[in-house]
Amino acid sequence: MMYPHRRLLPRLLAIAAPVGLPHATAWAAGVHDAVSSVDVFRSIGIVAAAAGILLLVLVQYVFRKRLVHGVYHRLLLVGVFLLPLAATWSTTTTVMEGTKSVQACMSCHVMHPFVIDMTNASSPTLAARHYRNNWIAKDQCYACHVTYGVTGTMAGKRDGFRHWLHYVTNTYPDPIQYVGSYANSNCLSCHQGTGKWERVKSHQALVGELSTDRIACISCHGPPHPLPKERTMAASK
Amino acid sequence: MPHIPDDPNELTRRELIRLLGASAGLLCLSPLAGCGNLWERQPVIPVDSWHKGVCRFCGTGCGVMIGLKGNKIADVKGDDEAHNRGRLCVKGLATRDILYSEGRALYPMIRKNGELQRASWDEALTLVAQRFQEAIEAHGPDSVAYYGSGQLYTQESYTANKLFKAGIGTNNVDGNPRLCMASAASGYVTTFGKDEPPGCYEDMDHAECFFITGSNTLECHPILWERVRDRKRSRPATKIILVDPRKTFTVRHADLHLPILPGTDVSLYNAMIHVFLEQNFIDRDMVEHYLSFQDGERTRTFDEFKGHIAKYTPEAAARTCGITPRDIREAAFLFASSNATMSLWTMGLNQQVEGTASNRLVSAMHLLTGQFGRPGATPFSLTGQPNACGGVRDTGSLAHALPNGRLVANPKHRKEMEDLWKVPGGRISPKPGYHTVALFDAMNRGAVKCCLVMCTNPGQTLPNVTAYRQGMEKTFLVVADAFYPTETTKFADVVLPAALWVEKEGVTGNAERRYHLYPKLVDPPGEAKSDLDILVELADRLGHGNLISARTPKDVWDEWRKISAHSKYNFEGITYERLQKERGLLWPCPTETHPGTKRRYVPGQDPMATGVGRFDFYGKPDGRATVWLDHQEEPLDPYTAEFPLIFNTGRILEHWHTMTITGPAPTLRTIHPDYLEIHPYDARQLKIEDGDPVIVKSRRGEVELRARLTDIVRPGMVFATMHSARHLVNQATHDAHDPFSKQPAFKRCAVAVRRKTA
Repeated sequence: MMYPHRRLLPRLLAIAAPVGLPHATAWAAGVHDAVSSVDVFRSIGIVAAAAGILLLVLVQYVFRKRLVHGVYHRLLLVGVFLLPLAATWSTTTTVMEGTKSVQACMSCHVMHPFVIDMTNASSPTLAARHYRNNWIAKDQCYACHVTYGVTGTMAGKRDGFRHWLHYVTNTYPDPIQYVGSYANSNCLSCHQGTGKWERVKSHQALVGELSTDRIACISCHGPPHPLPKERTMAASK
Repeated sequence: MPHIPDDPNELTRRELIRLLGASAGLLCLSPLAGCGNLWERQPVIPVDSWHKGVCRFCGTGCGVMIGLKGNKIADVKGDDEAHNRGRLCVKGLATRDILYSEGRALYPMIRKNGELQRASWDEALTLVAQRFQEAIEAHGPDSVAYYGSGQLYTQESYTANKLFKAGIGTNNVDGNPRLCMASAASGYVTTFGKDEPPGCYEDMDHAECFFITGSNTLECHPILWERVRDRKRSRPATKIILVDPRKTFTVRHADLHLPILPGTDVSLYNAMIHVFLEQNFIDRDMVEHYLSFQDGERTRTFDEFKGHIAKYTPEAAARTCGITPRDIREAAFLFASSNATMSLWTMGLNQQVEGTASNRLVSAMHLLTGQFGRPGATPFSLTGQPNACGGVRDTGSLAHALPNGRLVANPKHRKEMEDLWKVPGGRISPKPGYHTVALFDAMNRGAVKCCLVMCTNPGQTLPNVTAYRQGMEKTFLVVADAFYPTETTKFADVVLPAALWVEKEGVTGNAERRYHLYPKLVDPPGEAKSDLDILVELADRLGHGNLISARTPKDVWDEWRKISAHSKYNFEGITYERLQKERGLLWPCPTETHPGTKRRYVPGQDPMATGVGRFDFYGKPDGRATVWLDHQEEPLDPYTAEFPLIFNTGRILEHWHTMTITGPAPTLRTIHPDYLEIHPYDARQLKIEDGDPVIVKSRRGEVELRARLTDIVRPGMVFATMHSARHLVNQATHDAHDPFSKQPAFKRCAVAVRRKTA
């Protein structure tokens, strides 16, 4: 036990990694407007993958004979397991972060009527008004559907998986319908507490119903997107 | 060689894999096994089945989807397929709870020794029939009356009207639409010859200028207001002109606000027409081919009309209305120069002594400028109740009227209805019945001995209500309502518990001539019955069972739609099957394949318009719509040093009428409407602070409210809502009414306000 810190450091790292990585991810996801989170994660992934390959090559073919047995094994562990893990984490996160963009949503034709409406300067839908008035600066789809990002909920992942399954098996209804109750917290996080919101007596009376999603904000202020019938009509034009 | 475990409880690898496979399979099937939430988002409120219906409240008639869980309503949401595109206001959302509120009337009651005591249906109805029969025998059929509601289903109002007019033989059939839309009806009838708006909601999607007058649309018709706003959002150049004495929430979105003094509408519209003439905005083709001019009984020429308008200069009108001439000119310019102007109005226009004149002048502005009969160009009245249009106005359940625009005073119309109802000639009395104010006055005088009140609360809503309460006390008053107690049941001799909303089935007609169906989804509480059942049983006991042969909602509807085929209101094509399938249909709709009519009087669109020109005003013998020469009258209840302020009444978003339904609703009950809006300028002079208890005193009575200092009202005017039973604003209001429509002037009377001293 001459160098206790040599054992402590990897252990600390092992404990910190599972906790730290999601936090780092969450931080990076909102770090800076100029550098997108996708770029950050992509870079981390590339660096980790390159570093892993380089490390393995160096350890196996260049430094092998000069390394004591224990160090060799540990470096192999880093190259074969830890760095690829980081690379996998980063690529997954890159994909998840990448899907936050409007372009990503637009890549699936089911979403076309929604994005076309949102970017239509004369559409009266909630989505279009938030978009054209620049109330949301970027990732406009994600801003109101926050469950699917890397920091989103398990339910969001489940929904994404289900949507994907329906999509690839072509078993979705057309036009698609929203299922379940929409989380008002997406609206309230920006609107609740503003003077304009507080002035409306109905809002005060409904605080309990709104916070539990028993009444949807969009009941009065919707529809957020073209209605199913209107989407079909737009598509057939 | 596989490892064979020594312990039989230990799993082999193969068993483990099988087990995992089976678990994964079960997980995939979990949605079928009721574990749907593992697979898909679930609604917060679980629901077994969804049913299409219509909101209980205002005349917008929003489509709703009603979610049932077991035999209870669990959730209500807007119907995406209906005209409201899935939207509902806070009142509409409250329909989820209204059936289960406290204060529902559960069993019949009879007043014994001054107390209302529980009775059986048989006992109550037998007593009602006996008292009605006695009165009819001793004092003639005109000693009994029916006072109905724009909230009853069409089948119910139709049946009541038929029972009283063709059965009992009295035209004493009136109802709360007299307080609400009578001036709109008489405005349309005098202009077009037929009641009900020429346009529809869809016009809001095409209008380029909205002229909103006497309507706080944002609060009173919020879902239609969203549609107006959507138009402005899609086309920001769309102009919104607001005529309202108050700076309401609606006004905040207006491009131009004309805060006229209550009761000066006629001056304003005449002055706008003055500007149309001055600026050459008159559609000459309309004047030459489609319009006639009339002053009282006398026909006038266009030149005479111009002479009449000459004195209503914007400068003169501005003085009367308390606004600037420039605003009048700008409003007139925006109105006439837009590609399509749509006017919207409601109680502000209707509830005044010159309600009819104001209504027909708004229509005249459209006709004179040619802003008519095209998408987005139309006059359009908004309605306060879900079935004032279809149920009361179209069925003619009013003292002067007979079904489909017929009049009691017209012998030909009486004969037609006697034939259609298969009753002997002469059964329908030639004498028009008592309109609302006259009816309650007749109760005061003792001329009306018995009155059946259904689904309305005149004990609170009548103008100058104190004066009429003694009459209600004297009369044998039968009150059928879903709620107990109300201000009216205080005077009831018999209370009959009624079913509410989807506890019964029926059809209503909303503000845009759309008939739509309310399904029966749940049973009424206690012993409550549908109003139709009550009327049918009463008819049997009065010996008119043969006349009231249609006894189910479907049978009554079929009888009624077939009768409509003998008129220009023809909706024979709106069958029950279509109502069940579709989100309502706009009449005229003469055949089962007709899609309904968006714009009336337009040949090619309106199946009743058989002419070949731009328009066919088939309601008038000469095919021309009438422009009336109306004069601004002096206010009836003048303000003096003793009563220096104008008192105006109205509504708020969260409550409806007398709050019998919205008051107990859990989402609305925390919102109190018991305040008096007063401008800080007046408050300072009267030494009133915000929140002070104040007494509003008129020549008729007093009402106590809490002062709310606000610049929503202009100096010299105070405002209170008509909702609360705790403070009856109608103790102060005036019972003066429009000479044509007989609609009372709730929007204007003179008052004094003082701080209440402890």
